[in-house]
Amino acid sequence: MTILETSGGKRGRAAIGREVLVKWAPLLVLLVLCGIFALMEPRFLSTRNFARILIAASPALMVAIGVTFVIIMGSIDLSMEGTVSVCAVAFALCFLWFGGTLASWAWLALPITLLVGAALGFINGLIHVKLKIPSFMASLAMGFVGTGLAMVTTGGDRIRIEDELFRSLLTERILNFPLMVYVAGIFLLIAWFIQTRTTLGRNFYAVGGGEDLAVASGLNVNRVRVMGFALAGMFFSVGALLAVGRIGIAETATGNNFMFLSITAVVVGGTALWGGIGGVWNTLVGVLIVFVIGNGMVVIGLPGYVQDGVLGILVILAVILSTDRKSISFVK
Amino acid sequence: MSTFIKKFIEREKINRRNFLFASAYGLGGAAALGAFGPGTARAALTDPTIAWSYRNRTNPYWNEIVSGGEAFVESLGMSKGALTHLINEGSSEKSLADVKAILAKTSGNLALAIDTNDAPNARPVVEAVAGAGGYASTLWNKTDDLHPWDFGDNYVSHMSWSDEGPAEQTARILLDAMGGKGGVVHLGGIASNNPAIERLQGLKNALKDYPDVELLAAEPADWDTQKANQVMSAFLTRYGDEITGVHCANDTIAYGVLEALRAEGIEDMPIVSYDGNPQAVKLVADKKILATVFTNPHWGGGITASLAYHAATGHFKPSEEPNEHREFYGPTILIRPEDAVEFKANYLDSVPTYDWTDFWGPSNGAIVYK
Repeated sequence: MTILETSGGKRGRAAIGREVLVKWAPLLVLLVLCGIFALMEPRFLSTRNFARILIAASPALMVAIGVTFVIIMGSIDLSMEGTVSVCAVAFALCFLWFGGTLASWAWLALPITLLVGAALGFINGLIHVKLKIPSFMASLAMGFVGTGLAMVTTGGDRIRIEDELFRSLLTERILNFPLMVYVAGIFLLIAWFIQTRTTLGRNFYAVGGGEDLAVASGLNVNRVRVMGFALAGMFFSVGALLAVGRIGIAETATGNNFMFLSITAVVVGGTALWGGIGGVWNTLVGVLIVFVIGNGMVVIGLPGYVQDGVLGILVILAVILSTDRKSISFVK
Repeated sequence: MSTFIKKFIEREKINRRNFLFASAYGLGGAAALGAFGPGTARAALTDPTIAWSYRNRTNPYWNEIVSGGEAFVESLGMSKGALTHLINEGSSEKSLADVKAILAKTSGNLALAIDTNDAPNARPVVEAVAGAGGYASTLWNKTDDLHPWDFGDNYVSHMSWSDEGPAEQTARILLDAMGGKGGVVHLGGIASNNPAIERLQGLKNALKDYPDVELLAAEPADWDTQKANQVMSAFLTRYGDEITGVHCANDTIAYGVLEALRAEGIEDMPIVSYDGNPQAVKLVADKKILATVFTNPHWGGGITASLAYHAATGHFKPSEEPNEHREFYGPTILIRPEDAVEFKANYLDSVPTYDWTDFWGPSNGAIVYK
């Protein structure tokens, strides 16, 4: 008896230790990475470099937060590249049409862009739920539709946004960090609020954690799914606004690379692709890991031709260290 | 007998007759081919389908190329839509499959302008077109052992650009602006792309005459504005004030660099780029960029389609042209702040109307193999 009790007690303690470790592992990975890069090149740790990393990461963070909600539901949204392109182009066209400076009616372009993003996500969700097409395929297809739409709208041209007021997102700094970093921070807090303090946010976890149970409890799962995709679309559009703010150009290529960046960031941050686990803070850490790796490799002077390979290896290592794989029996 | 059955039998008769005629024609054709031997070109085509096969229109460079193709088609009195677009999305397999499909559809009655996406793909594409009796002109990609003159008339021409010389010129402008000292960084294209390699080599050639300038780093930015933005930011961390000049492999990279510098409040860094996109020319006029090189993609896209078309319709006979008319370099125009305004007026504000039968006027001499 006593032996059994002891072993039981031991198992209990070990489980708590592991849980805490798993929870904080992504952050540890981030700190270790920063430590390694700082040792190899002390300038990595400067405030200005952190500002540079955050400028680069802000648009991707918004996109990654959007897809986090969908992944928590156990679905996936791969439409981000098309949605970001459409939103960027729609914003630029509206902005110029209304007068081309935030000081005029052109500010209306901001809410319009959010609506465009939400609408695209809504359609995406409807296709997934009503036509019963797997979210992977429905969203991928919608992404292509978006890229095509942006292409047709611009005819392949790039649209410049020169308004000083809008570009102050990049050029104005408070405490050494440009405004866009704070905007991203505010939307991060909004996302955190949605995730923890709203019924919708809790329902995402219910659907992802066990859909059968959620249905049995009388939850309208389809409605939650569609809302999730619409919310994701809205965050994609915020990402598009920040991407345009950073470069001053809206074009079909604005959405390029966001798919790899955001999905990688979400997974590296410890949000499980099978749903129910993780959240926006995980995603923040994940995005920072991906961008710290990208920035750090150039800062320590790693040759370009090995960077892609090293990025891949570091991503796999980060996933190994930061996700809890012990509790799952199979991976597909 | 009902009229329906009568009509059916009537139609079948005609079909059979047509089939016999067609067979006889085919046999005759084969006999004629046999008599004149292989390698003899088929009689000129009438009203061939004109097609452009390229990566996609998202890229401003390819957008310009294809707009040239459309302008050429319009010059023939047809609508823009008469140009068939074969979009390979960066896949050589799709490029070849598209070509084979359109050859089947048009029975070889085809004038094709194509960038085959990578060099090895040029041979199967050209062989397929020549085999079906169509006509093809290629742009940018082909292997060094593949030559138009080995295919009689059907492989009409190949045009490419040598970027090493012009990139060296822009590099000298940059290094002079830096006062012949300090540190320069290079942001390149996709590392394996030929133009990316040549443009970096141009910088290295120029650096030999400037011993006091150090090449701090050369990183690929994949022709991408956002990637260039991030790479430049990281360069600023690593080298800070040591950077006194930036050499960009193309304009889209330069846009990302300019914004990375702007974020840091750096306004007067000497920068040079390449391609001569309208936006870059404006930046040259504003002295934000010191120089860019215009390769006239609009003309390149139009003339490549025009060469294939005019060879197909028998306007000229490629096999009677000298080799430098079949493999040649495209035009390059260096744009500096003092030329920018005039250049913009001549080439950008209103796209010049080109004489699409002046095939070699603006070209830049025969391709030289190293």
